[in-house]
Amino acid sequence: MSTALSKGRLKGAGSGRPRTPVPSFGGLPTPVRWVVYIALVALAAALPSIPGVADIMSPQNDWASVLVFPIGLYILMALGLNVVVGYAGLLDLGYVAFFAIGAYTGAILGSEYGWGFWEALPVGILLSMIAGLLLGTPTLRLRGDYLAIVTLGFGEIIRVTANNTDWLGGPRGVTNVPRPPAIGDLTFGALSTKPYWYLVLGLIVLVIIIGKRLERSRVGRAWAAIREDEDAAELMGVPTLKFKLASFAIGAGIAGAGGAVYASRTTAILPDNFPFVLSALILAAVVLGGSGNIAGVILGAFLVAWLPERFREFQEFRQLFFGAALVLIMLFRPQGLLPNARRKAELQEGSGGMGTLGAEVGAAATQTVEVDKK
Amino acid sequence: MLLEIDDISVYYGKIAALKGVTVAVDEGEIVALIGANGAGKTTTLKTISGLRSVAKGAVRLAGRDITNVPGHERVALGLCQAPEGRGIFPGLTVLENLHMGSYIRKGDVSADVERVFSLFPRLKERQKQAGGTLSGGEQQMLAIGRALMAQPKVLLLDEPSMGLAPKIIQQIFEIIQEINEQGVTVLLVEQNAAQALALAHRAYVLETGRVVRSATGRELLNDPSVRAAYLGGDISH
Repeated sequence: MSTALSKGRLKGAGSGRPRTPVPSFGGLPTPVRWVVYIALVALAAALPSIPGVADIMSPQNDWASVLVFPIGLYILMALGLNVVVGYAGLLDLGYVAFFAIGAYTGAILGSEYGWGFWEALPVGILLSMIAGLLLGTPTLRLRGDYLAIVTLGFGEIIRVTANNTDWLGGPRGVTNVPRPPAIGDLTFGALSTKPYWYLVLGLIVLVIIIGKRLERSRVGRAWAAIREDEDAAELMGVPTLKFKLASFAIGAGIAGAGGAVYASRTTAILPDNFPFVLSALILAAVVLGGSGNIAGVILGAFLVAWLPERFREFQEFRQLFFGAALVLIMLFRPQGLLPNARRKAELQEGSGGMGTLGAEVGAAATQTVEVDKK
Repeated sequence: MLLEIDDISVYYGKIAALKGVTVAVDEGEIVALIGANGAGKTTTLKTISGLRSVAKGAVRLAGRDITNVPGHERVALGLCQAPEGRGIFPGLTVLENLHMGSYIRKGDVSADVERVFSLFPRLKERQKQAGGTLSGGEQQMLAIGRALMAQPKVLLLDEPSMGLAPKIIQQIFEIIQEINEQGVTVLLVEQNAAQALALAHRAYVLETGRVVRSATGRELLNDPSVRAAYLGGDISH
């Protein structure tokens, strides 16, 4: 994306009050950007090791553990949900189901069948993707609220099924999930949590690369069209159902990977680890960070994961502070903290910048009185 | 006949929106469907472009039965619609919107972009601007231009005059005529009956899901009952 292009968009999407042009990161030369990317990854990898950071970020709990879960895995899941919500504009309220499927697959294959983490991980991803396709094939013909309700139900079905299935451990869940084998000097352990952070970070980087590639591809353009106007996309020759299924499956696979890592990190999982509120939190992360924008989604997930940890000292008030923080962010930044440039224009247009998630005000909003601008 | 809609019935749940509509469009024609709100004009168009499925009847394009062809595959067969309410992609730039129009095509489309820009110079000025920030008239131009990018045999237009000022409507209708003269067959749905009838070679009048009249545009324009019902005139005579 050239600077001129993004500036033009920002100017066009302005709400009347002049906007100072933000220096565009995308306008920097490629080598410079890559240096920045590598530096960011290196900084992220060093996060648990830099002295002093832990005291500020997580005075109460082990900082490396907090980085793995919730922060790292929330970021991973938010990036996955971003493919569904941010790119294709589909509202999935049962995203935790795919996280659970990945986790249970990893846990069962590991503890019952003696599979190693690395063998179980791809199976977890695959099964989550298949579950995404199975759920998506009948339900993706629905739109907006209806899709949200069906996915919400699916999330509950998976949890309730796990709770009531003996070979999944019932309410006691699965224990003795193997940890990943040591890589060189890096031993994965209950107290040795840094290697998990490197693992999660590696997955996050991989998902970012995949996400960026998809976003700029023909698939990404089709998703943008579906998100903005599904009927119009179909009329342009985009096979909308196929692409919606693809986004669902990719999002599900990413959550599945996160689930497998989660199971091996905690070594024991319960159905109660996968409540509806986790789906809601991840969705909140995507929306408040800036749906469709990777940097925004990462920031949103970080805040959603970290704020309750940081507010821990306030004890029972921490959820209150957390809720207030979310409300304040959405009041002052309804488009998200770091919104996608396209989203701004969509927000202007009236669909709330959320594609089919938004209230269906598009038709009325486009019937604006013609103002001749000559 | 290039496009034939043969006795189609379409239901929304149990409510019949179309009760056996038959419309035919010959190559090179401009055909208009006029009628009041809820008459089934938009449903007819959506059925042709494949957004609605039929309970009964058939849709044929150049003799081929396309009733069960999914909407996105009909574009490659030569049908492209500029949807109701313009349906442009608000977050994509004007140029990106046009490129979405040529989504199914491979290879260089710059000649087509130039053709659209020559029809609508305003779009060229605004090519880097987000679609949602255009005025209503410009959005309609973009919707038509985007549909042309698919190089359709039949261009389907759903209420191109909706919500626009008379001056802009005039402009849009002149351009529709120009597009037709360049060899594109046009099927037009309009509530603005006077404009549509003046432009169309032939027209159909829809009432509650049925075709009640069909004749040349001129004939309907001068028909007292049509004038009374849709053109708001001649009551004093």
